[in-house]
Amino acid sequence: MKVGDEIPELVKHPTTRQLVQYAGAQGDFYEIHYDQDYARSVALPGVILHGLLKAAFLGQLVTDWLGDRGTLKTFEVSYRGIDQPGRPYRCRGKVAKADGRNVELEVWGEDPDGNRTTVGSASVEMKGSA
Amino acid sequence: MASSTAVLDRLRARIGTTAPPISATVEAGHLKRFAEAIGDPNPRWLEEAPPTYLVALVPASMHLAEAEEYGKGWLNGGNRFEYIEPVKVGDRITAVGRVADVYEKTGSSGTLLFIIFETEYVNQHGRPVARLRGTAIRR
Repeated sequence: MKVGDEIPELVKHPTTRQLVQYAGAQGDFYEIHYDQDYARSVALPGVILHGLLKAAFLGQLVTDWLGDRGTLKTFEVSYRGIDQPGRPYRCRGKVAKADGRNVELEVWGEDPDGNRTTVGSASVEMKGSA
Repeated sequence: MASSTAVLDRLRARIGTTAPPISATVEAGHLKRFAEAIGDPNPRWLEEAPPTYLVALVPASMHLAEAEEYGKGWLNGGNRFEYIEPVKVGDRITAVGRVADVYEKTGSSGTLLFIIFETEYVNQHGRPVARLRGTAIRR
């Protein structure tokens, strides 16, 4: 594993149904995630994905890659843009630092136009002597 | 409607205040519904909490009603999780949240209000398991 290596990408296909499912599971009932009229009334183009749902997608990207080879220590995301259901969400990442067993990943989520609407990082501690 | 400066002053007075602790037990059914909602089929999440699960266990931030007098809507600016120990089904987690900072910032889309929340999660053995720092934005 070396700096610059990309990890396997993960493409998610969020739907309005999933936003409702996520609203229920998280207990976040802010109307911008399921009520089209409300979302437009606050100057959004329609309902949008929960930031934390996008964080969960990126979390899956990291844990799918990591498996049981190590432990996730920190995970950070910044939301830079909105995303709407019905548009695929492409999660990507690459190795930003590799120092012995400590590896830092740069992760991001892209909309279909290639905009990085969520950016973040994850630090992991690999098992054994890497 | 109160001026944004007055709202900002009142919110800034809340910096450092903590919310009453909230406790909840990690239930297998809820964990399963959460994993289904995020669309992550990894069987590991039947027993163990995936990276963002704690936000679903207890509210991720304190409710600051007066912040809603500022701007017209909420945005989530970001989240930072720090993991200390795995959270498993059956764990009793207590979360204590605090307001870490409140400030205004002017950017290309106008002036926004930023509220930084920090939450510490402690398990039934009294050991911290995770910390969360979240940025809530009023626009």
